[in-house]
Amino acid sequence: MRYVAQRFAQFVVVFVVVTFIVLASTRIGSTDPVQDLAGGQVDGARRAQVLEDYPYLDMPLPIQYGYWITDLVKGDWGYSYYQSQSVMDMFKQRAPATFFIVFWSIVMGLLIALPVGVYSAYRRDRLFDRASSLTTFGFISMPSLVVSVALLYLVAARYDMFPTVGGSDYVAPWDNPYEHFKNFFLPSLAIGIGIGGVWSRLLRADMALTLQSDFVTLAKAKGLSPGRILWIHALRASILSLITSVALQLGSLISGAIIAEQFFGPRGLGDRLVFAIQQNDLLTLQAIGVVIVAVVVVANLAVDLMYAVVDPRIRAARALS
Amino acid sequence: MSTVTADDATRAAAPEPVTETRTRRRRIPGIGVVFGATWLLALIVLAFTADYLPFIRFYDRPVRGAAAAAFGPGNDFWFGSDSLGRDVFARCIYGAKTSLTISVASILVGTIVGGTLGVIAGYYRGWVDRVISIFTDALLALPAIIIASLLVGRFDVLAASDADFLGFGFSWLTRTWSVTIVFSLLSIAPVARIVRAQTLSISQREYVLAARSLGAGTRRVLVREIVPNVIPALTAVIFTGIAILLAAEGGLAFLGYSVPDPPSWGSLIADSREQIEEAWWMTIFPCVMLFLTVLSFNLVGDRVARRFDIREAAL
Repeated sequence: MRYVAQRFAQFVVVFVVVTFIVLASTRIGSTDPVQDLAGGQVDGARRAQVLEDYPYLDMPLPIQYGYWITDLVKGDWGYSYYQSQSVMDMFKQRAPATFFIVFWSIVMGLLIALPVGVYSAYRRDRLFDRASSLTTFGFISMPSLVVSVALLYLVAARYDMFPTVGGSDYVAPWDNPYEHFKNFFLPSLAIGIGIGGVWSRLLRADMALTLQSDFVTLAKAKGLSPGRILWIHALRASILSLITSVALQLGSLISGAIIAEQFFGPRGLGDRLVFAIQQNDLLTLQAIGVVIVAVVVVANLAVDLMYAVVDPRIRAARALS
Repeated sequence: MSTVTADDATRAAAPEPVTETRTRRRRIPGIGVVFGATWLLALIVLAFTADYLPFIRFYDRPVRGAAAAAFGPGNDFWFGSDSLGRDVFARCIYGAKTSLTISVASILVGTIVGGTLGVIAGYYRGWVDRVISIFTDALLALPAIIIASLLVGRFDVLAASDADFLGFGFSWLTRTWSVTIVFSLLSIAPVARIVRAQTLSISQREYVLAARSLGAGTRRVLVREIVPNVIPALTAVIFTGIAILLAAEGGLAFLGYSVPDPPSWGSLIADSREQIEEAWWMTIFPCVMLFLTVLSFNLVGDRVARRFDIREAAL
């Protein structure tokens, strides 16, 4: 319990520090936040309105942070004067696309990692293992930018089925599964390939260790089929660090999704982010930053707590590493 | 406490039981490493002597007689030319210079700062460790690409403004500088984390205990016993880190926030992507260069990690 409380305290501190960094970095080089929020060439009326809505913008940074984070927790995420839209509405519109890219790329990654990792651990140092270890190494070394270009050139540009740059809008899977697949297949694959490579190697290493342990020998002696041993007994024992990696990679997956969006269409948070940076649309930037940070930090916390529940021994070890 | 440390140490020290292939690999460097090292050496030499080599043209001027049309790869243009008549090969080589300078400089700053923090956190433990851990956790929780593009965007504004800090203006803050600063900042935390873990396990070893019982002071133990033993892991981290930063630079360029002049590989790819159907060579060659370079850094880093038995997952 003390451990949980400690982790939670650390979680809060990290969250505050990071969101403050996000807030502070939007203010670099800006002399007048009110002007930034109101937009470049605006009349006094709009400026006055911004000041009325956000009176705290003239105050020192920590106080601004206090006001802003309170509003955020209350559910008032602010208003983007550039987009003439509240930030919350923008999220409702754009976040699903980004979410689905991340979701499907995790699915793709696991679809690559599970079979490859398990089978190459089973056939360790055999032909399949060699070949797959070479391939996954290549996958890891392929920046998602390169994978995206390759997919764009080899697939999207040749087959009309898949949309290219900015060519598609978000379609929910429950509205039209086929359209959804068309929009999301390539961006998710672009991210999934690299991450799948990382995860297969991770799983292979853990699995190879597990397969040498006594309970696997026992299971073999009992006459269980290799499939059952591999996929049920051994996999369960070795999957922990894979799950950890899935959680810890969430942040970079979101970053990847934001880039992949620019390539393959389904417009999510990515282009809003780019516009917001260009115009220094403070509240939009801060909101996007805070949401991603929240996802990452909560995932981290979840991993720590999961370890605490699953295996108390690891809890202490993780505190060390 | 001690059992846990030992457990951690064995995990770090023995990723795989030794097999026959592993011992053989130890003697002959694999074909991959040879390829990686050769590629990197060749690239670095080409990139940094590009100004003096006769067969590398300008990156920023059209070649006479070639303007206004994109030629495919051939004898005249090894990698083709772009629609403004510039030589793609030359642009790739100068791109290497930009990309490599940024990644190497950032990882060096990250290693020095992060390494120091990691050693201090791992050696002193207690509240020092806790403070540093919160700092690195916070840095790790930052969404890298997003914060990088935000900061580079803001630095542009800062450089254009007439703000000054202690009497110095910010006109020196070009894209190269701002990307390097941001990447250095982002590479501190991962390095600190790995070095801390290494230091924790090393400071439990017998030779550290021996040095201390012979009366060595803290500084001597740190400098003579701990730091030299952290360096192998650090080398592997540096190589892998450069690979990651090269890829990240590509992503950043894609959002429009990398170095435009001389264009980094990422900028080359991002700028020419729209014309991929008419002139594939403008995009594909920088992509291949980027891929091969990242691959080479990974191959060399992997080799170093294997040589010194460093757990792969830690990277």
